[in-house]
Amino acid sequence: MSAIELDPEYDLEIFNGFGSSPLLRNLSLGRRTKKRWSFHLNSKPNLIDRSPNVPVRRRLSDVTGIDAVHKQIDPHHISPAQLYSTESGRLFHAGKICIALAGLPGRGKTHLSVSLTRYLRWLGVKTHSFHLSNYRRAAAPADDLDHASFVMYPHDSQEAMFRDKTVENCLNDILNFFETDKGQVAIYDAVNATPEYRRQLNKRFQDVNIQCIFIELTVTDENMLKKNMELAARSLPDYENWNYEDAYKDYSARINALSPYYKEMSQDSEDKTLAYIKMINFGQRIELHNSNYGYLINKVVFFLMNSRIKLGSVYFARCYKNEWDYSKDPPLDEGGINYAKNLTKTMIKHLKSKGRVFEDDGESGFLATKLKTTLSIDEKHPPTGADGVEDDSFVVWTSVKKRTKQTTQFFKERGVNIRHRIQLSQKNPGVVGAMTEEEIRDNFPTEYELFLADPYHHRFSRAELYHDLAIKIEPLILEMERMSGDILIIADETVLRVLHGYLMACSCYDIPWLEFCTDEIVEVKFNAYSNTARRIPIENLSD
Amino acid sequence: MPVYSVSHVENVRICVIMVGLPARGKSLIAQKIVRYLLWLSIKAKCFNVGSYRRQLAGDTAITAEFFNPDNRDGWSVRVEAVNRATEDMMRWFAEENGVVGIIDATNLTKQRRSDLLKLCRENLIEPIFLESWCDDQDLILQNIADVKTTSPDYVDVDPAVATDDFLSRISQYERNYQTLNVADDEDLTFIKLVNVGSQIIVNRIESYLESRIVYYVMNLHIKPRSIWLLRHGESEYNLTGQIGGDSNLSERGWRYAKKLPEIVLKSLGEEHEHTNLTVWTSTLKRTQQTASFLPYQKKLEWKALDELDAGECDGMTYEEIEQQFPEDFKARDDNKYEYRYRGGESYRDIVIRLEPIIMELERQENILIITHQAVLRCLYAYFMNVPQEESPWMSIPLHTLIKLEPRAYLTLVSRIKADIPAVSTYKEKGTSQLGELASEVSNSRDLILNSLQASV
Repeated sequence: MSAIELDPEYDLEIFNGFGSSPLLRNLSLGRRTKKRWSFHLNSKPNLIDRSPNVPVRRRLSDVTGIDAVHKQIDPHHISPAQLYSTESGRLFHAGKICIALAGLPGRGKTHLSVSLTRYLRWLGVKTHSFHLSNYRRAAAPADDLDHASFVMYPHDSQEAMFRDKTVENCLNDILNFFETDKGQVAIYDAVNATPEYRRQLNKRFQDVNIQCIFIELTVTDENMLKKNMELAARSLPDYENWNYEDAYKDYSARINALSPYYKEMSQDSEDKTLAYIKMINFGQRIELHNSNYGYLINKVVFFLMNSRIKLGSVYFARCYKNEWDYSKDPPLDEGGINYAKNLTKTMIKHLKSKGRVFEDDGESGFLATKLKTTLSIDEKHPPTGADGVEDDSFVVWTSVKKRTKQTTQFFKERGVNIRHRIQLSQKNPGVVGAMTEEEIRDNFPTEYELFLADPYHHRFSRAELYHDLAIKIEPLILEMERMSGDILIIADETVLRVLHGYLMACSCYDIPWLEFCTDEIVEVKFNAYSNTARRIPIENLSD
Repeated sequence: MPVYSVSHVENVRICVIMVGLPARGKSLIAQKIVRYLLWLSIKAKCFNVGSYRRQLAGDTAITAEFFNPDNRDGWSVRVEAVNRATEDMMRWFAEENGVVGIIDATNLTKQRRSDLLKLCRENLIEPIFLESWCDDQDLILQNIADVKTTSPDYVDVDPAVATDDFLSRISQYERNYQTLNVADDEDLTFIKLVNVGSQIIVNRIESYLESRIVYYVMNLHIKPRSIWLLRHGESEYNLTGQIGGDSNLSERGWRYAKKLPEIVLKSLGEEHEHTNLTVWTSTLKRTQQTASFLPYQKKLEWKALDELDAGECDGMTYEEIEQQFPEDFKARDDNKYEYRYRGGESYRDIVIRLEPIIMELERQENILIITHQAVLRCLYAYFMNVPQEESPWMSIPLHTLIKLEPRAYLTLVSRIKADIPAVSTYKEKGTSQLGELASEVSNSRDLILNSLQASV
C-alpha cells in the first residue's frame, strides 16, 4: 500500500492522546489572545482574499438549491453548529477516524453514511462519505456494471483485478482526505464481507494512525428489508431508465449472489479484535463491542440511536408577518387568517395528491382515528405523541407564539396533530429588534458592517446568533431523523433557514441569506443519497 | 447541545429502572444521571429503595440474612420499600411535573420488572431498564470497598465484617437473578452495560431524551478516581482588576505555579508518586503557565476550558463596565446565569460548550484541571449539584486546590489553600468592588466551604 507520509503532528498526537495539540514550550511566544469563542473577526476566515469573485453580500433567492452533503468541504468552511475552530481544522482530542461500514446491499449503508455525514458536518467535524459503488460506476464500462463487485471471482481473474483496483482507488481517496484535506472522519461505504478482509482493512488504517471502527448493518425484519429493496430498485443510479420489476429482480440477484460470502461480525471470529458497532434493524438495537473509544464515537452512537430509514418530506412555511416587535405576541390579523386558510388548503391538496385522506373527506378522519387508538399495557407504547410512526403520518410543528398557533387552527380542524416546540421561536434580534435595516445602519454603523461581513456569527447586543439557533434545534433535528411520514414546519424565517441549512447541508455563509416567502411552501424530500428541495406555490383557495 | 429545551417537549415522562446485583455501580450511575439532567435544567429525581427499606426497618440491624429470598419478614419489608418508592415517584411525576424518575433498586427478577413495566404503562410513563452487569472481580471488590465505607448500612461496622456481610448479601441476591437479554426482552427499551462499557447493548431507544440519557451513561465508568479543580495562579489582570484577556501570571502567580507540584503531591497522599494523572488546561497563557512546573507527561489543552468570553467588556474592570454599560451591569447582577455579555457569552453558553469536557471527564480517571473562575464554577456545579441560581455566585478563590472524589452515595470534597497570597476576584451582587465582604457573608458564595468534608 502506498502509505501516506507520516504527518509530523502524529507523534505528538500519540504522545498526548487523542489528537491534542501540545503545550507550548516557550510560553511567552504563545499568541493566543486572538482565539476567541464567538468567532470574532480575527478568528474568521479571510473571505476577501479567498476569491475575488465572492461578493460581500449574497442573496440566495433560490432556497431550493442542491444538497451539498457530498460537496468537498471548503478549507474555510465553518459548520452551522460548530462549537469551536482549531488551526488543524480537526476537533481537539478526537483523532482521525475511519468508519467502515459492513453489510449486504439493502441494509441501509448508503443511507446511514449520508445522514451521518450530514450530522457530523453540521457539528463541525470534517466528514466525507466514500461510496465504493460510485467508484465502481465511474470505472466500469457502461454495460458491465455489477458483476465484478457482486460475485466472488477467482483472485487472479480480470473481474477480481477490476474490483481490487476500484477498492484501491477509493481507499487512496480516503487517505488523501485525511492527509491533504485535514479530514477527521471518513465513512467508507462498502460491503466488507469477511472477517479476514475487515482485519486487513483495520490494519491498513491502523498502520497510518487512523482509528478504524466498523458499523455493521443487519436487518432481521423482513418488511424493512423488502422496503429497502423497493427503494433501491427505484432510486439507485444503477437502475436509471430500468423498469421497476427488472430493477428489483436484479437487485435481489445481487444480494443473493453475495449472501453466501457474507460473514456477520461476531465475538467468535477474527472480528473480536476489532472495534465494531452492530446496528440491527436500523437502530432498533445497537451493540457496541470494544468501541468505547471517545467523544466522537459516542456522538456517532448517539446519532445511530436516533436514526431511522428516513422517508417522507419536510415542508417549510413561514409564519405570517415578521415585522412585529420580537417581544410582543399579537394575534393574527385578517390577512394572516386568510394566509392560514390558503396554506392549509394548499398543503392538504398537495398531500391528497399523494394519496392521503383527511377528516371530513367522508372517511371520517383517517389520520385522527389512527392516533386515538387506546394504548394497551401489554405492548410497547409509541414514543410521546405517537408522531411519525407510520410512513403516511402527517404532523405540524410550530412555535408557541399566538400567531403561529392561530396559523395552525385550520389544520387542527382537519384532524391533524399540532406540536408546539419552543425551539421554533424566532431568533431573538436583541437591541435591533424593532429597527429596520436602515435604522440599524444609522444607529450602529460599525456593528452593521460586522454584521454584513458575517451575519451568521455577528451578535448585536442581547441578540441570539444563528449559531445559537443551530445548537438549540438539535433535538428537533434528531426527532426529525427518527420520524417517518411528513412534517410541516410553520415558523419564523430565521428558524426555517437553519433547519433548511441542515437538510440541504448549506454553509453558514449562505444560511442567513436564504429567503422564504409567504406565497410558497418549500418541500425538502428525504432520499438515501441526497435530499431534494422544491417549491409549492400557495394558491388562493379562499371561498 | 442545549438539552434544557427538551423538557419543553410536551408530556415526556421517563422512568429509568435500574437492574443489577449490589456493588455494580447502580447507585453511582443513578445519581450521576440525576445530576447531569439537573445541570441541563431537566427535572430529575432518584428514588433509592434502600433508603426506604432502612426507614421501614428502623433500628433493626440489617444483616445478609435479611436479604435471603426465603426470609419472609425481610421479603415483606423489601416489597413494602419498593412500593413506597414507586408511589412517591408517581406522586412526584403527577404533582411536581417530574420528567425523569429513577428507581434505584436491584430489580433482578422478571416478575419485579414486569410489575414496574405495567405500572409505568398504566401511567403513560416510558420505562427504560438500565442494567449494569459485571463479572470483573477486581471492580466488584473496589465497589464493595467504597460501599462499606460510605453506605448507611455499615455505619460503625468493622470494615472486615462489613465486607463479609456484603459479599453474602450479594450471594443471596444472585439466587434469583435473571439478567436482561435480547431474546426475552426484545420488546423492552433497555440498556445493558457489560463490565462497565466494554460491551454495551442498546435496545429500542425511541425518543430523543432517552437517547440523551444513554449517550451520557455510555461515557460513565465506576472506577474510583479523583478530580482536582483549580484556577490559574494570580495573573497580571487579576492585579489590575481587569476581566478576561490573556495576560501572564503575576510574580505571586509564578510562585504558586512553582509550589503546585508539592501541593498536588500532598493532595495525592504522601505515599503516592507523581504518576497516573493527566493535566487539562485552557488555551490561555495563565493556565498553561500555572501547569508548567507539574511533572506529568500528559497535558492537554482545551479550547472549551477558556474563560467566559466577556465580549466587548473583555479587558475592562468591573468599575469600567458599570460606568460604560450601567444597564448591562445591572442586568447581569439580576440574572447572572442567563446574562450574555455584548458579543460574548453567558454561563449557560459555557455549560453548553462544556459538554464534551464533561463527557471526557466522565470517561477518564485522575484528572487535574487548571481553568478559570466561571468555567470552574460550572464544573463544580455539575459535580456538586449546585442549582443554577447559585452557581455563578460561588466564591472560588485563587491559589486553592479543590479535590473531588465521586463515590456511590456522595462526592467527597477537600481543598488545600497554598500559602501564597493572591487578590480576590470575587464580586458581590450589586457592587463593582472586588473581594468577599467579611461582615455580610452571603449563603451562596460559601457553598464550597459548607460542603467541605475535610480541609487540609
